[in-house]
Amino acid sequence: MSENAAVTSLRAEVREWLAQNLPDDWRERQKGDDIPAFLAMQREWFGKLVQAGYATPHWPAGWPGGGRSLAEQIALFEELARGGAPRMSLFFVSLYHAAMTLVECGTDAQRARHLPAILNGEIWCQGFSEPGAGSDLAGLRTRAERKGDRYIVSGQKIWSTLGHFADQCLLLVRTDSSGAKQAGITFLLMDMKSRGVDVRPIKQITGDEEFAEIFLDEVEIPVENLVGKENEGWKVAQVTLSSERGLTLVELTERMALSLWRLVRTATGGTGDVAALDPAVARSIVDVSARIEALRAMLATLMTNRIAGREAVGDASILKLAYSRLSRDFTALGLRLQGFAAMRDTQYVLGAGYETGNWMFDFLNSYQYNIAGGSNEIQRNIVSERILGMPREKLG
Amino acid sequence: MTSAVEDMRIAPEEMREAARRLLADKVDRRAPWEGRVGSAAALEADVGELGWYQLTVPEELGGLGQRFDVLAPIYEELGRSLAPLWLSGTLAAVDALARAGGDDADRVIAAVVDQALRIAPVVLPNGQGLGNARLPVVPGASEVTHLLIVDQAGAASLVDRKAPGVGVEAVETWDLGRSYGEVTLANVTDVVCRFDAAAILPVLRAHGELALAWDSIGAATRSLSETVEYMLGRQQFGRPIASFQALKHRAADHKVAIELARSLVNHASGVFAVRGEGWAVLATQARILACEAFAAMTEDSIQLFGGVGFTWEYNPHLFLKRALMNQIIGGSADDLRDRVAEDVCRRALASGH
Repeated sequence: MSENAAVTSLRAEVREWLAQNLPDDWRERQKGDDIPAFLAMQREWFGKLVQAGYATPHWPAGWPGGGRSLAEQIALFEELARGGAPRMSLFFVSLYHAAMTLVECGTDAQRARHLPAILNGEIWCQGFSEPGAGSDLAGLRTRAERKGDRYIVSGQKIWSTLGHFADQCLLLVRTDSSGAKQAGITFLLMDMKSRGVDVRPIKQITGDEEFAEIFLDEVEIPVENLVGKENEGWKVAQVTLSSERGLTLVELTERMALSLWRLVRTATGGTGDVAALDPAVARSIVDVSARIEALRAMLATLMTNRIAGREAVGDASILKLAYSRLSRDFTALGLRLQGFAAMRDTQYVLGAGYETGNWMFDFLNSYQYNIAGGSNEIQRNIVSERILGMPREKLG
Repeated sequence: MTSAVEDMRIAPEEMREAARRLLADKVDRRAPWEGRVGSAAALEADVGELGWYQLTVPEELGGLGQRFDVLAPIYEELGRSLAPLWLSGTLAAVDALARAGGDDADRVIAAVVDQALRIAPVVLPNGQGLGNARLPVVPGASEVTHLLIVDQAGAASLVDRKAPGVGVEAVETWDLGRSYGEVTLANVTDVVCRFDAAAILPVLRAHGELALAWDSIGAATRSLSETVEYMLGRQQFGRPIASFQALKHRAADHKVAIELARSLVNHASGVFAVRGEGWAVLATQARILACEAFAAMTEDSIQLFGGVGFTWEYNPHLFLKRALMNQIIGGSADDLRDRVAEDVCRRALASGH
């Protein structure tokens, strides 16, 4: 497979740029115990990416950095991962979910207000899931009632990534309960500083607080913040959910592949003396490495098919199941090889993907990929029903 | 110039179509399990006529000059149909000898095309040689004309199967679907020609491993689809057992494992076809993953078929026995892992930030 000239030259350009612009000390500055330092580092890095045009390759042509092909976007993510750059944690939802939803479904006024603001660092979160609506997202119950030129919203949202730092929220609410559950959902944009919004970070098993709960008590949202039509928000939500087009997995897989060296270093007790490795340990590394290479190959095929518009139903589910399983096994192996040292190492780096270098943190964190973006159980339903043709469950 | 070469490339999918048609027509996979004469001989003749042995032979030696990627779909279809054919022995030897080059290599390759010379590669363990060797199970050995014997001391020799001191006896294994021979060597001196083992062994191995990997992918995919088909038809508690979520999820997990392995086998084949960086290690890793997915699928298939999965009459055991054989031909999974471990680890360390 040969890359086109635009992709090849972009790769070279990004490498060169990283050599000049990647702060050497970003890991030091993104330690998990110092939130202001994490936020400052993220803002600094985001500013540099925006300036270089590397934050917005997926935006329409005409926007700074925009109009890049999916192949170029993939190359950009790969190069940032390979170059050891921090992830864009704080701004990812803004750049992808929020911006792409507004580009495709928003009004001119909404775009004019928010797209430039996003480039200036406006932070967005997603208010989709609820305590009672996870895999069954369409069962959401947060109520919105229209009164004059406002919606009055009450309910509870959960699993909003970095919601406690967000300025704005992509919000799904129920405006009609009379028909099919997908039919009564409306998509709103909510200012997180509105009266009645209460955000509480969720402490995870890692000790980190990456997600948040959002409590809504008669929050007033102006009608001009409606995206699409009332009761037709489910369609808009599909746009939001498909906005990152697999780039997250491209990035995470590349980061995992690149951190295989950490596993080998851990296995050799830091010496790098490969010849002295216990054969059983070396065999485990061969297997993990084989699965990483397999995953990369699978991802490359999927993205090629996606670019060509011939992706098959269920391919993304297979990929996600393969990735989440491997991320668990990979980090579990590191954890096992490091022994007590891993149990004592409670420092970690935020926003590093698989390069945190902390096996216990990464192992615990790997559980989130079994749930996020559709639980593995839902993915297995999709694979067995839509690819293998097994009978569907009767759903409520 | 490149475009002229590209013009002569056969599309791999064309080969798949041709292979699928032939195998659907000719393979009677139940035959060896029911005491009927199998389809091996007829199939071998057809394959010879269709020119499959010429596909990857260089053009100047009378072949079609194709790369490994045209063989991949053939190997996959052989597995899918549980074909009784060991195509890969001769083709791996052709590939390895073409790589080594030289007059002797050219003559042997030409004889594969002109005189139906057929080869079984035999890699001897440490300490064995032409003077004294015994290998209990060699794929296809009883159906070839020659053995390509590679020892651990750096020598590779082509010997006639009927040369003095060479003993090949057909042996029955649990994998009745394909033929195996026990090979003994005692003071063999009558050698057709000799090669430098270092020059041919890596290609011989990688080709053989990718052939087994594709065989496993093809057969595993078929095993999964026949298992799901059975589960759709089998009713218990008034519903098809394919509708129980616990069973659906097991099938889904096999699908993921098979597709993950397929991705690596496909990638490794592409790299091997052009001898890209790391081809030998990738081929070994591809084989490990593919054979593991195949074995896991077939072991579970016996269970998913319920009681009839335990009978000779139903087909799951055909796949299981092939899978377990594929896993150990030319070395166990651990032997394969040990072979590449140091290389994998060193390359990982070298890529570190």
